[in-house]
Parts: sequence; structure tokens; C-alpha cells
Amino acid sequence: MSEEVKEKERSVLGVEELIGEVHEKEVQVIAFRLNEELVGVPIEQIIEITNNRDLTPVPKAPSFVIGVMNLRGKIVPVINLKEHLRIPYQIPDDIYQRNKIVILETPKGEVGVIVDEIVGSVKFPESDILPEPIGTIGIDVKFISGVVQLDRELLILLNVESIFNQEE
Amino acid sequence: MKVEIPEELQEILEEFLVEAEEILENLDQDLVDLESNPEDKELLNKIFRGMHTLKGGAGFLNLTPIVEIAHRIEDIFNKLRNDEMTLTPEIMDVILEGIDKLKEALQMLKDSQELPDMEEIEELLSRLDAVLKGESPVSTASSEGSREESGSQEGEIEFVDGISDKLKELILQYPDKDLAGILEEIILMPPDKRPMDVIPEIEKLIEEGKDVKDLIKKKEAPPQEKKEKEKRETLEEQTASQKAVSSKSSSSASSKPKAVAKKTEKKSSETIRVDVERVENLMNLVGEIVLDRNRILRVTQDVEKECRTEAVEKLVEAVTSLDRTVSDLQVAVMKLRMQPIKKIFSKFPRLVRDLARKLNKKVQLIIEGEDTELDRSILDKLEDPLIHLVRNALDHGIEPPEERVAKGKPEVGTIRLFAYHEGDHIVVGIQDDGRGIDPEKVKKKALEKGLITPEQAAQMSDKEAYELIFLPGFSTADKVSDVSGRGVGMDVVASTIHSLRGSIEIDSEPGRGTTILLKLPLTVAIIRTLMLGCNGQVYAVPLHSVVEIVRYQEDQVKEVGSFRSFMLRDEVLPLFSLNELLEVPDNNEKAFVVIVKVGEKLIAVSIEKLFGEEEIVIKSLGELLSDIPGIAGATIAGDGRVVLILDLNSLLSDYRTKLIGVKR
Repeated sequence: MSEEVKEKERSVLGVEELIGEVHEKEVQVIAFRLNEELVGVPIEQIIEITNNRDLTPVPKAPSFVIGVMNLRGKIVPVINLKEHLRIPYQIPDDIYQRNKIVILETPKGEVGVIVDEIVGSVKFPESDILPEPIGTIGIDVKFISGVVQLDRELLILLNVESIFNQEE
Repeated sequence: MKVEIPEELQEILEEFLVEAEEILENLDQDLVDLESNPEDKELLNKIFRGMHTLKGGAGFLNLTPIVEIAHRIEDIFNKLRNDEMTLTPEIMDVILEGIDKLKEALQMLKDSQELPDMEEIEELLSRLDAVLKGESPVSTASSEGSREESGSQEGEIEFVDGISDKLKELILQYPDKDLAGILEEIILMPPDKRPMDVIPEIEKLIEEGKDVKDLIKKKEAPPQEKKEKEKRETLEEQTASQKAVSSKSSSSASSKPKAVAKKTEKKSSETIRVDVERVENLMNLVGEIVLDRNRILRVTQDVEKECRTEAVEKLVEAVTSLDRTVSDLQVAVMKLRMQPIKKIFSKFPRLVRDLARKLNKKVQLIIEGEDTELDRSILDKLEDPLIHLVRNALDHGIEPPEERVAKGKPEVGTIRLFAYHEGDHIVVGIQDDGRGIDPEKVKKKALEKGLITPEQAAQMSDKEAYELIFLPGFSTADKVSDVSGRGVGMDVVASTIHSLRGSIEIDSEPGRGTTILLKLPLTVAIIRTLMLGCNGQVYAVPLHSVVEIVRYQEDQVKEVGSFRSFMLRDEVLPLFSLNELLEVPDNNEKAFVVIVKVGEKLIAVSIEKLFGEEEIVIKSLGELLSDIPGIAGATIAGDGRVVLILDLNSLLSDYRTKLIGVKR
């Protein structure tokens, strides 16, 4: 099995697959960067990854809402995940044109989050997930469902439910 | 008893539940009718068929308890319709008990996929069996006698050619009504039982000047004198006379089955039941296609500019045809949701009659424009406000007969319920010729209740005074009656209409009556909007809130303290810029001023750009952004971008709240 799945061989959602470790009970996540952190969301909660879509700003909306976009006829809000996670951020001037948006299935419906870079799809056995974050990371523990030590760096798994269930 | 329905039968189960519910719903009315009219073969047949369908469906799904009960009731009705048994109150009690059990079982099935155990219904089954065997006391002799008596009274009725069977049945059912009367009866019937296909036929006959007597060759005429009586008398006497009359008619139908059963060319109404959700889904998909079409159109134009080959020409042709088809498709899908207002208007004749009797008032109801169609979602929400308004008209508007006579008005009051199209919206109105609304009395009341200040009252126009009745906690009736409640209704009426993006107009003349007009959009899904530009973004504003648009001219703006006002002809209106309302940067380059109506007041809003009018489909912003003040929703423009729809009304009130720091 691990013979076939070599690096950059399969593609999921049009992005390259990084790690070829496959075991009995595996978790697949889409990994992306927020600032320097490598974070991942289980692939089941991801509807699609899109870029270069026009965003319409929503006046009077909470500040973490960057705008709304048209996702196949549905109106989907796009938020600044960094602000939502309370990690440092800068909004580039061209945010409404240049961005990678990951559309997530959340308890509040479909929501797009802006990320800095899509890294790829990562598979690893469920048993690799460590419940506690190791060392200091910039994201509040309550938004994290676990971390995974990959070859070179730490992947932080986001807990989509807890991120979108918080009362604003 | 838990019922195991395999996955593949789930859908059938759901269909069965819908159908069964409908059958039982109709059954209630039918059984009530049957009690007063136990020999009505048509009715007996109908109930029998209903039970048969129910039994069949339940049998397919293996719902034994339902099958057992329905089977026995079916058998009883089979005997009844074949004259092997006569309906007595005792039998009826057992049947009703069985029906109640069926309802209970269906409810259980729906809620928890359970059915009553067989032991539970055993006792009921044995009683039904007893009825079947004829063990309950039946006084055959007396009923036999009465049937013969009524049978002999009735003459032979034969119809002229070219009359539909359905109409014949109706004529037999209402022997002392003329065609207009029958039409009225049809309208009074519950919508699902209304034989819609007969209505055009009757209307045509009336147009041709024909009446019942022209349609039947009779050897012995049914009593026709009553026809000449005035309509309202018939209405009052109806319940009493109908009993006698319809029992006659039913036996006449049974004595002359040939007349009815001949040449049955029954037009079954070709309708299917569709889940609203599916229609919504279809609407969404069509919306998508429309957007894709717009994109294709644009690309095709570009292609056409760049190269002109035969293939491109063919492409243009195909796209043009696609364009037309998609437009038609859009209209067709919109029409799926349209229903005639008859659906709710038809409930009013009975309501008005019952209420008039209760209040000892004499009223005739005139219904106009009941074929006017509007969106189903509006229709559903319109019923309660209309009922409320009609009740008000009857209770507060129409005077008691003595008072009317004393005032020199006709003894019988008139309430007119009407609907018509006006541009892109429909108007539903209620007009009465009652005592009208006294603006002074309204103001006094509002003052007493502390709803307005004396200064406000003094400045108020009559129209503004009428609007007061829509404030929460207002009631003008000298005595509170159980008919129109305690004044908690009018504000609900107003908020319902406003939530449908409609408006209410009241016009009243003391002593002459009141007219209330509800202006509603044709559909909630598509609205006409004005596209505005502000801070580089495009926004849509529903056209119904815009009164007029004028050019922005510096010299018409006056600074009044920290506020600005705008001179419109000789009026001074408060002026806000859209930028400040939306809390976005303002570069003070204004081009136009939109005059908006908020309540009875006009407010000026300055804007940077104006793009014109567009019809748009409203979409929700989703749960995350559901309560942003001033933003009513969004739509997707032709280029695929999202355009926000502004609700200037709430935008302004939100802004005012922020300025004053308190909610009004």
C-alpha cells in the first residue's frame, strides 16, 4: 500500500499529497498555513478549496467577517480565521482579490476561511494524534483537537465545531 | 408495537401517511354531512372508496392494525351503500370510534413508527364486527318508510344533453338553487372537495343566460319557489332547509342512477403533490442556470468579436435559443409557486356568516378577483391577517341592523373582499360600509394609552391617525368582544404584512365605511431593486421603499447643527449619506439623493452612484451573518458577484438608535 502512495502522486481536491504513510485507521486532513503555523482540518469537513473569487465586503458585520462570496449560487461568508483564532494577522490590501479560501462545513453552515497557503493533503494513522499541544503554539487550546508530529514539523488539527460555536 | 419499514419502502410509507391523513381529514366532514343526510349514496360511496384506499395502502406496508380497522369500516359502508344496512346513531358511534383509532394509529406511526397492539384494538374490532352482523338495534321499518316517502316525493329528473355528470350531481344535490346558488355552494366547499372543473361550465351557462330549469326535462319539478327568495334569506335558512332538501336529492339520485352514471367522462384533476422543498430546490437550480447563461452570453459575445466563423455563428444561434428557453424556464418555475387567492378567500363566506349570526348583524360578503395569483409563501401568511381584518370590519365596522336603518343605510351591511394586480404587486383589500373610523376618537384613545403626546395628536393628519391602530396595545371598540380580541391583533397584522415587504393603507370616512388595502409583492423570492453605488461597492435597495430619486445639489443641503437636511421642493427632509449609514469611508462625492419612505415620513439618503433598476432573487446570508442590521439579504449579480440588499428602513432606525443611544 505504502509503495503505491508516493509523495506528490495522488491529488485530492486538486492539491498535492505530501505524506505517504498509510495504516489501518487513518485520518486525512487538508493542511494549510496560517502565519508560520501548519494547521489541518479533516477532509470530511472541507467542501472545497477555491481561490481568486470575488469577495463582497459586508458593512456593519463583525470585524472577522471579510466578506461574502458566491459559491455555486449559495452565499457563503468568508472570515479571517486568524482573527477568529486570535493570532496575529495583517489584512493585505488586495484581500478581496488574492486569496486562498477553504470552504468548511461548520455548525453555522458553510463558511469560507482565508489561509496563507495550501500545503496539501496529509494522511496519518489516527493513533498518531496527540491530545495535547506540545510546546508553545500561538492558537488557543480550545480550538484544537490535537497535534500530529510530521517528519519536519508539527501539524495542528483545528476543531471546527468549537471555533464556530463560540458566542460572538 | 414497533413497525419495521424497510429502507426501500420509506418513501411509500411517507406517501401513504400523507394520503391517509387527507382521507381522514375529509372523512370528518363527510361523516358530519352523513349524519344529517344518511341516505346520500354519493357520500357513502366516497367514504367507502376512502376506506378502501386506506386499507390497500396499509396492507401493502403490512400495517395490520390499520388494515383490520379500515377493512371492517369499509365493509360496513359497503353494506350501507348497498342498502343492506341502515345508519343509526349507534352504528355511527362505533364507526367514529374506529376512525378515531385510525387517526391515533397514524399519528403513532408518524411520530414513532409504532402502531397500537392488536390486543388494544381487539375490543373495537369485535364491536365493528357486531355492527357488521347487524347486531346493533336497527329500526328497519321506520327508515324504510321514510325512504319510500322521500323517494315518492321526488320527480324524475332528466337532463338535456351536454351537461357534465358532475354538474348533474350538483343540481341534484341542491335542487332549490339556481346556477349562481350552486356556484356559491361550490365556493363554500372545502378547497380539496371543490369540483373545480365544473365552475367554468357553470359560468359559461350563466353567461348564456341559462339556468337549472333550462337544463332539466322534468316530469315533476322539484320545488323551485325558493329560488326567488332573496339570497340572504336563503343563507340564513340554509342549514335548516338543506337537511330536508338534500335528503330528497340524494334519494332522487339513487332512484335515477342512470341519469348520473351515464357517459361518465370524468375529468380527473391532473395534479400531483410536490414537496415545497423540492420546488425551492428547483428555483435555486434555475437561478444557477440563469447566472450561467449570463456568463455564456458574455463569453459568446467576446468570441464573436474575436473571430467570425461559421462555427461561431452556430454557437451564437444556439446560445440565443438557450437564452430564450432559460427565460421561459424561469417564468415557469416561478409559476409553480403561484396559487390563486381563492385558496384563502373561500374560507370567508362561512366565517362571515357565522360571525354575523353571532353578532346579530346582517352582512353580505362580496368576493372579487379570487383568481388573482400570488406566491404560495405569501398566501400562507396572508390568511391570519385577512381573517383578523374581516372580523374587525364585522365587529367594529358594520353596525347592528337597527342602527343602520336609523342612519338611513341599507339594513344589510356589505363587506367586499377583493384582490387585483397593480403593476408588480397585488392589492388585497377589505371594504365595509360600516361606521368608519373616527380619527379624533383614535387620537383620544392613543392619548389615553400614552401612545402619543398631545402635541403629536394635534399635528397628526387623519391618515396618520388611522395608522395608530396598528400600534401594539390599541383597541377602539367600546366593548371588548371575543370576536376581534383585545387589540392585540392589528399590530400583528401590520408586522406580518411588513415582513412580506408589503404595505397597508387605510382609508375611512366616518359613517360611510372603511377600506383597508394591503399591497403585497407578487413573490417574495424576486424583487425589483434599485442598484446603488457606495464606496466602490454595489448595493441593491428594494424599489418599494423608494419614493423618488433626485440629483444631489449642494445648494439644497442645509446644515442644521450636526444634522443635515435636504430641500425637496418646499419640503425639508432629514438627510443622511449612505456611507454614514453603512459606516464605510465617505469621500463626499454625492451624485444622487434617494427619497425613502419610513412609516409616514420621508427621509433623504445621498448616494454616490446609481446603476438603475434590476430584478433580483433574494438569497439569505446564512446563519453566521443572519442579524446584521440593515442588510436584508444578498443576491448574485450577472457577473457572479454577491450584491447585498439593503433594508433602508432598519438601516435608518439602527442609525437613529446609535445616535440617540436608546431604542425608540
